[in-house]
Amino acid sequence: MKSAYVIKRILYSIFVFAVVITLNFFIPRIGVDDPAERYYPPQGNMSQIEYEIIKQVTRQQYGFHVSTWQQYLNYLKGLSRGDLGTSFRPGSPAVIDLILERLPWTLVLSVSTMLIGLTIGVLFGVVAAVKRGRWQDTMLLNASTVMVALPSFFVALILSFYLGFELGVFPAYTDSTMVSSFTWTWESIARVAENAALPVMSMVVGSIISYAQGTRNAVIAVTNEDFVLTAKAKGLKQGTIRYKHILRNSMLPIVTSLGMSISGLIGGQVVIEQVFNWNGMGTLFLAANNSNDYPLMMGIMLLLSGFTIFAILVTDLVYVLLDPRVTVGDKR
Amino acid sequence: MKRIKGMSLFVGRLWSHKQGKIGLIMVSVLILVAVFAPFIAPFNPYDVSERTTKGLAPSAKHWLGTTINTGQDIFSMLVYGTRVSLVVGVTSGVCIAIVGSILGVMAGYIGGFVDTLLMRIVDIMLVIPTLPLVIVLTNVLGRDFWIIILIFVALGWTGLARTIRSLVLVLKNSNYVKAAELAGASRWHIMIRHILPGTSHLVIMSTALSSAGIMVAEAGLSFLGLGDPTAISWGKMLADAQSGGALLFGAWWWILAPGLGIFLAVFSFMRLGIVMEEMANPRMKQTSGVYKLFRSLDSSYVEDVLNSMDDYQQIGVGRPLEKGGATHGTNLEA
Repeated sequence: MKSAYVIKRILYSIFVFAVVITLNFFIPRIGVDDPAERYYPPQGNMSQIEYEIIKQVTRQQYGFHVSTWQQYLNYLKGLSRGDLGTSFRPGSPAVIDLILERLPWTLVLSVSTMLIGLTIGVLFGVVAAVKRGRWQDTMLLNASTVMVALPSFFVALILSFYLGFELGVFPAYTDSTMVSSFTWTWESIARVAENAALPVMSMVVGSIISYAQGTRNAVIAVTNEDFVLTAKAKGLKQGTIRYKHILRNSMLPIVTSLGMSISGLIGGQVVIEQVFNWNGMGTLFLAANNSNDYPLMMGIMLLLSGFTIFAILVTDLVYVLLDPRVTVGDKR
Repeated sequence: MKRIKGMSLFVGRLWSHKQGKIGLIMVSVLILVAVFAPFIAPFNPYDVSERTTKGLAPSAKHWLGTTINTGQDIFSMLVYGTRVSLVVGVTSGVCIAIVGSILGVMAGYIGGFVDTLLMRIVDIMLVIPTLPLVIVLTNVLGRDFWIIILIFVALGWTGLARTIRSLVLVLKNSNYVKAAELAGASRWHIMIRHILPGTSHLVIMSTALSSAGIMVAEAGLSFLGLGDPTAISWGKMLADAQSGGALLFGAWWWILAPGLGIFLAVFSFMRLGIVMEEMANPRMKQTSGVYKLFRSLDSSYVEDVLNSMDDYQQIGVGRPLEKGGATHGTNLEA
């Protein structure tokens, strides 16, 4: 039963990915007859003939001279070779190279945010669940209502203002030589950590609170289960019940929520990277947007969506394979 | 007439609730500020001739100081910024409620192909990161005020539709719907007259909550410089503050004012939404004190509904399983 479900789930993910690829191909083509027009909008001082020539060159260069259907096939063919297209930047670099250059820097931020947020968040959540209704719990509640309403970029600006400019504890925005002068030495790594401190801090506040809330609810849900009552009735120690019965079983939903939170984390990071001028995919994406570099934008979108699909798939499968309670299929 | 009476009854109930009263007052103040912005604001931030000394700290004349680069009165900008935030937030919130409830009811009640199609769309929208998608769409479609609202609605209906669908799957099997079916009522009649009213509490609540969410999203978009370029909005004020050197010259008022504006607006709408859910969902009243708020912040209500659904395992494998589900055994201690 389970293996059938796993296969079904994988096939469904592939289907979703295929639809996302198709959307990615067609979104830049909305509203224009000729994609070359979108890629090179008419300039003010250009005569009709000049513009026609430029469009002709663009068509040739980016493969728009064939039918839309053929372009779509070429796009798919390119994707299967790992080719996300060619950027409009001078020198026509491959999109995949531009992304790979920035990817590690983005991951530095998102992975450390996730790790710190998860550790502290789970800790807070467990405390709040154990002390249900007391001040610890109330505090988490108040913090979460406030945090949901506070935009992360505002938090980032405040942090940059006080810790960066006023107190000078951390760099208020990213050192522009950080990337170019990076070597694998402790000094260099410490410099990255120093520059990453404020961006990570501004994202981690929100992520701590959302993980804490998730954990709290999961722990309380498990505490209400019958088997916890049974364990109490058997006379097991409070500590044993808490760690062996409650905590272990409440970790699964938390792992699953990780998969779902990735998409939000990456989306939110675009703004934070912009605030601190961090050299990641978010700023790359915004730069691509400002210069109408569609292949680059769509390449980043595709990568992020593919990543999310994969993360959701993995967490779903882990959940199904690990949790004995989940039975799949129509067993009634 | 009946509608108006029901509406005033609803507001009255909100008013008699302590948290609801605070939310109502805050939202009404925001609306009044937005409507009467030209009368409240001491200066017209759009008027170039009314610009004064640059970079003034808060004083009796300029309550929140002036900007460093243009010398605009920040309090007046704040007051005018309420308009963009409220109009984008509330309009999108209302449209999302309409689109989401119609599609959710259709998916749940008609089922079959319509249901599959809509839920596949929801699944696909879930995996595409929202903010980048909004940015791409504003790039392709333009950054006009109404286009931005349209994009928010197009991307925002999925969550509500999914929730309403699960509620409809429960309502569908209730006796009064069965009775209507037996009496020969048409599908559309049942959907509009019998099912839709049953989801109204969710719809009203989600209007307030999604308005709040859209306000944050709009602020983020204008912060990135991708909102309507002609309007004064809180997000754009923050962006100008950053690029105009507010951080460098210690002009804290320029950062705090729009940030707190966003916070207050979002917070009051959220509070209203939470109280509405609490009023509509009597089960929440039984839990004491602060949990009411907590329970509404997470999606536990939605999960309750999901748990009671027949095809839970089709959508819900990734969700935390709670006890009482019909399709999975809870024999963990065995």
